[in-house]
Amino acid sequence: MTSDRPFGRESIIPYNYRRATYRAGIAVSSVIIAIFAIFPMYWIAQNAFKTRSAINDSITFLPTPSTFTFARFEVVLSSRVLNYIINSLIVTAGTIVLVVLVSLLAGYGLARFEFRGKSYFARVLLFGYMFAPIVLALPLYLIWNRLGLLNTYLGLIFALSALTLPFTVWLMWKFMQSIPKSLEESAWIQGAPRWRGFIDIVLPQAKPALIANALFAFAIAWNDFTFAQILLPREEATTFPPGVLRLLNSQWETGYGDFMAAALLMIIPPLLFAYFLQSYLLQGFEVRSI
Amino acid sequence: MTMSQQKSIHDSSNQDEPLDVTVQNLTKRFGDLVAVDNISFNIKPGEFMTLVGPSGCGKTTTLRMVAGLETPTDGQIRFGEYEVTDLPAQERDAALLFQNIALYPHMTVRENMAYGLKIQGVDKAERNAKVKEAAEMLQIDDLLDEKPKKLSGGQQQRVGLGRPIVRDPTVFLFDEPMSDLDAKLKRELRPLFEEVTREIGCPTLYVTHDQEEAMTMSDRIIIMNDGHIEQIGTPEEVYNDPQTGFVGGFIGQPTMQFFEGELIDIGDSVSFAIDDHTWKISDIEQGSSYINNKVRAGIRPQHIGVVTGGESGSAMNLIPAEHSLDEPLGDETHSFFETDLGRITVVTAPDFRGEPDQDYHLQIKKEELKLFDAETDKRIR
Repeated sequence: MTSDRPFGRESIIPYNYRRATYRAGIAVSSVIIAIFAIFPMYWIAQNAFKTRSAINDSITFLPTPSTFTFARFEVVLSSRVLNYIINSLIVTAGTIVLVVLVSLLAGYGLARFEFRGKSYFARVLLFGYMFAPIVLALPLYLIWNRLGLLNTYLGLIFALSALTLPFTVWLMWKFMQSIPKSLEESAWIQGAPRWRGFIDIVLPQAKPALIANALFAFAIAWNDFTFAQILLPREEATTFPPGVLRLLNSQWETGYGDFMAAALLMIIPPLLFAYFLQSYLLQGFEVRSI
Repeated sequence: MTMSQQKSIHDSSNQDEPLDVTVQNLTKRFGDLVAVDNISFNIKPGEFMTLVGPSGCGKTTTLRMVAGLETPTDGQIRFGEYEVTDLPAQERDAALLFQNIALYPHMTVRENMAYGLKIQGVDKAERNAKVKEAAEMLQIDDLLDEKPKKLSGGQQQRVGLGRPIVRDPTVFLFDEPMSDLDAKLKRELRPLFEEVTREIGCPTLYVTHDQEEAMTMSDRIIIMNDGHIEQIGTPEEVYNDPQTGFVGGFIGQPTMQFFEGELIDIGDSVSFAIDDHTWKISDIEQGSSYINNKVRAGIRPQHIGVVTGGESGSAMNLIPAEHSLDEPLGDETHSFFETDLGRITVVTAPDFRGEPDQDYHLQIKKEELKLFDAETDKRIR
């Protein structure tokens, strides 16, 4: 070893600074992500509390005492909008329950039973997920019209579940495959009937996937505009997203402030939902690693 | 699921007398593949039977049929006088320790051990008492409130053993439970497995690919290969008296050395001959029918001697050899030699170390030579 070169492979970043560089990189990227994710929400929130003229006159970063008002929420929380919110909550809850139940049973069935055309089924499943909602919504309108499902909660719940199920079934299927079959078999050998093993052993194990599916169904159902707009044409039946659009269209001038207040209301439930479920989600994935 | 069947098995397991397990002409086919080909054996109450063989030989399939997790294509399984061939796993009252132990990660050790009792409807106080008793026997009573993830591999095995203890099963099945453990832990757990199965007193069927586990723990060993049984016998029988070349090669460490040769007639007796080496074989009844036919001879490396120096050809049964490697094990050495007959492993003295330039000769103990039919692999006696 005669060369003056230091031991080891050469690197652009000297060894002593690598750790610091790595940490700085993480910090910078976190800040960038945070700006993109949080700034719009901040902008919505601060504008929701301003008077109409304050928004139109100039760009300000916080409402001042003279421009601060709750007036936007009075408009938005009218009985009309509350009705939209209740409709949204019912449809979302219904979709979550249906999607979680169906994906659980379908995922288990796909993971544990052999049947003809199983691989074909799997391919079709994901293929079904590729359609844009608007492509499906128009034919659905015609079918739902015939079945009398227009303007019903059930009609929208079915439509949204159909949109959500391909992905959630696929996720549950893959997750079920990761649960060792021997766990169930050991329960059978100890005398547990199949349904008992499913409830005692498989269900607790599947919790992370159940929660992921619930989150996914929530996001689809709560944020859905297309299906609700088309399948719930009646004013009293419609949900929050198309409802808010109607509200704003019916006003004389463009109500940016009203829109911000409505958007703020719409963001809060998903944020809460995701926040409380994410800890369960992470817990669940830890348990899986045994 | 008929209640009468269930009742009969439960009644029998409540009696003091454990049942034996009989497998008769059992066959399992998956499509065209014959996984288990017409095998029969019997395990007596309290007997530790090991099913050993290479991977894919059908041993796990056999075990799963006894457990009720696979349906046999053909044949019969009986627990005592009760036929259980088509009885679902739930109604056999068997116990099975899986390769991955299959502890429930979301339950504590106590709940894991009590699960079978809970299914049977035993009340909580009695469940806890039984679990505590078993846990004390297994020295895991301080772990009862832990989740399985917190436990070491050895502790998980103990919990796995605890489940059957509290349940008093009809048969105790093991599906390679120790294959993921290191050698030291295996040696620690082996006596525990034997003690626990003796305590329970039911027949035990232990599946493994590890011949050392089979030899050390078993009352009897079944050696399986390619779906059929090669031999059933005590560890001494299968080691000293292999019925096929496969058994000879599978059991024993280091493995039996094999040579292809033929049997020749030298007047009043027969000899095994390879090229110009011959070994006289005494007391072999079937020998005459193999005269001038190809046979395989097997010899354990323990029965080959090493002669340092010596004249080649001075005696017909000295094989000139060139030393290539030593594996010192402390109490003995495994030495590899290159010869005209191929590479030969020899067990040598602990301090033996081969020299590359030294001439060696290998001496085979001819009374330890075992002859096998070159076609059928059957022992020639």
